[in-house]
Amino acid sequence: MSICEMNVRQVAAGVREKKFSAEEVFDKCLERALLHENKVTALITMTADTGREQAARVDERVAKGEDPGPLAGVPVILKDNMCTHGIRTTAGSRILGRWIPPYSATVWKLLSSAGAVLFGKANMDEFAMGNTTGSSAFGPTSNPWDLSRVPGGSSGGSAAGVAAGYTPCALGSDTGGSIRQPASYCGVYGLKPTYGLVSRYGLIAYGSSLDQIGPFTRSIEDMALIMQIIARHDPKDSTSVAENVDFSLPLGDKDGSIGLKGKRIALVKEFQGFTLDPPIADAMKRMVLLMEEAGAEITEIGLPVVSRYAVACYYAIAASEAHTNLARFDGVRCGLEAASASGLKEMFEEVRSKGFGPEVKSRIIAGTCLTEPVRSEEYYVAATRVRTLIAAEFQKAFEGVDAILQPVTPSLPGKIGEVDEDVMKGYESDLYTLPVNMAGLPGLSFRVGYTSARLPVGLQLVGPRWSDKNLLDIGFELEKVLGVPQSAFDTAACNTTSFKGGN
Amino acid sequence: MRLGSEDVRAIAAEARLSLTDTELAGAVRYINNFLEMVDRFKELDLTGVEPFCFAESNVCPLREDAPEVFPRAREILADRADYLTSLFKVPRIMEE
Repeated sequence: MSICEMNVRQVAAGVREKKFSAEEVFDKCLERALLHENKVTALITMTADTGREQAARVDERVAKGEDPGPLAGVPVILKDNMCTHGIRTTAGSRILGRWIPPYSATVWKLLSSAGAVLFGKANMDEFAMGNTTGSSAFGPTSNPWDLSRVPGGSSGGSAAGVAAGYTPCALGSDTGGSIRQPASYCGVYGLKPTYGLVSRYGLIAYGSSLDQIGPFTRSIEDMALIMQIIARHDPKDSTSVAENVDFSLPLGDKDGSIGLKGKRIALVKEFQGFTLDPPIADAMKRMVLLMEEAGAEITEIGLPVVSRYAVACYYAIAASEAHTNLARFDGVRCGLEAASASGLKEMFEEVRSKGFGPEVKSRIIAGTCLTEPVRSEEYYVAATRVRTLIAAEFQKAFEGVDAILQPVTPSLPGKIGEVDEDVMKGYESDLYTLPVNMAGLPGLSFRVGYTSARLPVGLQLVGPRWSDKNLLDIGFELEKVLGVPQSAFDTAACNTTSFKGGN
Repeated sequence: MRLGSEDVRAIAAEARLSLTDTELAGAVRYINNFLEMVDRFKELDLTGVEPFCFAESNVCPLREDAPEVFPRAREILADRADYLTSLFKVPRIMEE
């Protein structure tokens, strides 16, 4: 097995046991990225020098007999909306195209303290607004499984980097599906943790009540290890909750038999009336059978308010919060400047009009419109009340079930450059992911198999708040049958089930 | 159509955005479709429903009120355009 095919635990163990050095790992990963990056373009910034220096420090610690941490020498990709001290952080936007943060996000401090080294900053939809990575000011990213297709978004660069085997792990952020959807399109695991579980300090905000940082990995055990490190209370994030979830416990026995006895898994009644691409519909049927055979009780729940109102509610709240969060980018404090502007108002307008792309401008205008005093009660305040109904509906549903099994998206990844003329219809396709953010729930996106054309097909498990570990437990059981996701450029990939109707 | 070009141009100006004619046409279409989408809320009786908050947020988690040292003050300020020793140079905000 090549180093690039190894998972997080295997890399860290190899470095700690001196089977190979952290620098060797970094160079192998760099070699892999340099081979494919001109086609995939997963990264906005490749941190070769910084990463190699960090790897050398890990090797020094190993040589001295010190403990370099559970992520010894593991290269990690961060979505480019997480601040890294001294390293450009753009949020995929021209307005921050040259911004170098003077501090690091808490998640990166935690990972680097555990021995991780920074491989690069990943491409993303501008300010995390999008689901293709196509709205990045730095150009689109390609899906490693089919370079003509999108990797999903907004954390498309992070997902593509792990799927291409650049690194065994990456971090993304999920405001309405931005970890789970690209994970599904790229055939890797993606976890959107419970809101409040992972610090958002140093994450460039889009929708503050919805944003959550989470990992991409190629194994469930890796996911648990990363969560064990980053799920920590942070006094610098007032929404970071003081209680910690323990991910360190064994995830289950490893005798190879799948056991879901006692687990109550629900399907959403209303979702079953919606059209899915045939491979995704097939995957749902197959997973239901598999879970039943493994001893799970399959039930049905109703989420009528979620199904009818979640999309509108989400976009009202997300746009309103985005309009407020992005007001700080005005040319005075950080980012793009307008040296020639004649006055303050002209400077603001010039910087913002040149610096933001079309989707960001649209959402800022929508947020401004909905929060104007004349309309705020009718739309923004109403949306916050609808959100209460959505969260209550989930809470009631989870009284009788452990997790919901559902699609991540209704369709397989589209071609790069395809534009949905009906923007609102495009927003409707987020129905399977964004309600999770509305209620602050955890969601695990996992790969089920591949189409005959080698496109990954994924599904999602959603649980009640703080059930993140339980979702990983279920995922771990399923992995025994589904196998671990592979890198798109490694030969052993795709030897599992293919689905009908794949294109 | 509920909001016309001038309405949307005024909203954009509030957000400190100036739009080209092409951008404005797109924004008018977008915002009217957006309003149509969120009009769905009117189907619901929201009387007595509280605005959403996470249950854990009912208690405001306060940090200890202790002074912190920022050892890299110059570095923090260095990013800013036109930072002159201890002052920032900003454009005029008063008319002549």
